[in-house]
Amino acid sequence: MKRWLLALLALALLPGCVTSKVDEMVYNAPEQGIGDSTVVILGRRQASDYETEPDFIQCLGDYISDRDPSIQVLNELNFVNALYPWFEPRTAPLYPQDIDRLLQQHVVAQRMRELKTRYMIWIDGSTVRSDSGGSMTCAIGPGGGGCFGFGTWSDDATYEATIWDFTGKAEVGRVNTTATGQSYMPAVVVPIPIIAPVKGTACDGLGEQLLQFLSSKY
Amino acid sequence: MGVLLSLSTISRHSSGLPLAAVLLLAALLAGCGPKTVNVQGQFPKPLMDPLPLKIGIWYPEDFRTHEFYDEAKSRSESDWVVETGPAQVKMWDTVLAGMFRELVHMPARPGPKQMSPVVNAVLIPHVDELQYAIPKQTNVKVYEIWMRYRFELVTTGGDPIAEWKMPAYGKTPTAFLQSDQEAVNLAAVMALRDAGANFITSFPQLPAVRDFLESRNQTVGARYADDRQFVGARYAGDRAQSALLQGRADRSESVGARYAGDRAQSALLQGAGGGKS
Repeated sequence: MKRWLLALLALALLPGCVTSKVDEMVYNAPEQGIGDSTVVILGRRQASDYETEPDFIQCLGDYISDRDPSIQVLNELNFVNALYPWFEPRTAPLYPQDIDRLLQQHVVAQRMRELKTRYMIWIDGSTVRSDSGGSMTCAIGPGGGGCFGFGTWSDDATYEATIWDFTGKAEVGRVNTTATGQSYMPAVVVPIPIIAPVKGTACDGLGEQLLQFLSSKY
Repeated sequence: MGVLLSLSTISRHSSGLPLAAVLLLAALLAGCGPKTVNVQGQFPKPLMDPLPLKIGIWYPEDFRTHEFYDEAKSRSESDWVVETGPAQVKMWDTVLAGMFRELVHMPARPGPKQMSPVVNAVLIPHVDELQYAIPKQTNVKVYEIWMRYRFELVTTGGDPIAEWKMPAYGKTPTAFLQSDQEAVNLAAVMALRDAGANFITSFPQLPAVRDFLESRNQTVGARYADDRQFVGARYAGDRAQSALLQGRADRSESVGARYAGDRAQSALLQGAGGGKS
């Protein structure tokens, strides 16, 4: 019985397979790191049919600051609140040239100086589920319950990071990542999810490239 | 004491079964009730130079208690109640307080025979329409809220200055372990933030509002010129009076200067009366 339980647990902990690809295009990385300046990572939210997930933005920020604590990554919501309403989906700058227009308001320029934001990284993309199949039946009765069947689905993640140098008012880098993974859920009495960490892999891939861009240690 | 204890024990035993049945029934029926969202969120103060207006705000009753009710179309769906009124008031209070030099809550809707606080104009917001969409309905992994506002800008006498409509939109993606109610609340908060952002950027651009602001600037400019003239004349009068006291000028200069000061003051008072709204 114990062996069976251990085998089930081991099976449940198995991750699904993920294929990931990262394309990088950097024009002008800081050679000495970013010093005491700060970085903010923001999600693009203008599209009508998808939205860059806030947890993905949080994951990227954590990835960078965990590996190089000298890089101060500002919290997305705190930054957007501090500059309300100039970074809402309706009003956020779409091109680096729009920064000039934004800084014409001296209160905005003053707040940006206080925040010491040098790099602004825009993330656009999402993780979508596709190609789901299989079937599963669950039942419950006086003697107990259980499930029987097999389910599978595929997740596709596509994200693009655009790096703006806020002081130079120019785009200085662009990183793309795609990740695809197949997840499975066989069920013999107990469903055993074998989940492919697609979003996590995309976060790691993109985070690594951004870390190399921003950090003097990498 | 012993009697009391046994009585309470008996009463608990006798009511235990029906109570359990009632709780079970309530739990079963809970799934049949409408999904209610009482919108709650935090709204930041806008970062901007305030417009030089003392603005009044009047929230009509239907705005303060605004709620949206959507009846289920089929048995598999639920009724929805989205209460936005208190959140609307909270958001607009925050946005308008940061957007204008001063915000005054009006005790009643401005009218011809209404005693109102002295403000430059009164804003009256209305929610004309609200729609929502959840992933079950659209097959898109986002929750959406769409609102259409109607604003009236009137004088303290109730005369219209401007009236316009404004859309607001908010959406939020699906998330693990997030209920429909939580997601709709988040989408509503995003829609309210969008409404604030849209209002801040569009208000000074509206032709009727621009005309109103320009006419006010001219009135203020004229008043400012009158003030300068008045202060200058006063200053000349004071200088002349001082000279008279020192015996270096005759009294007529002082009277003339004083007269110039009085004329300027009279013009100022007339100007103030004409520019009052």
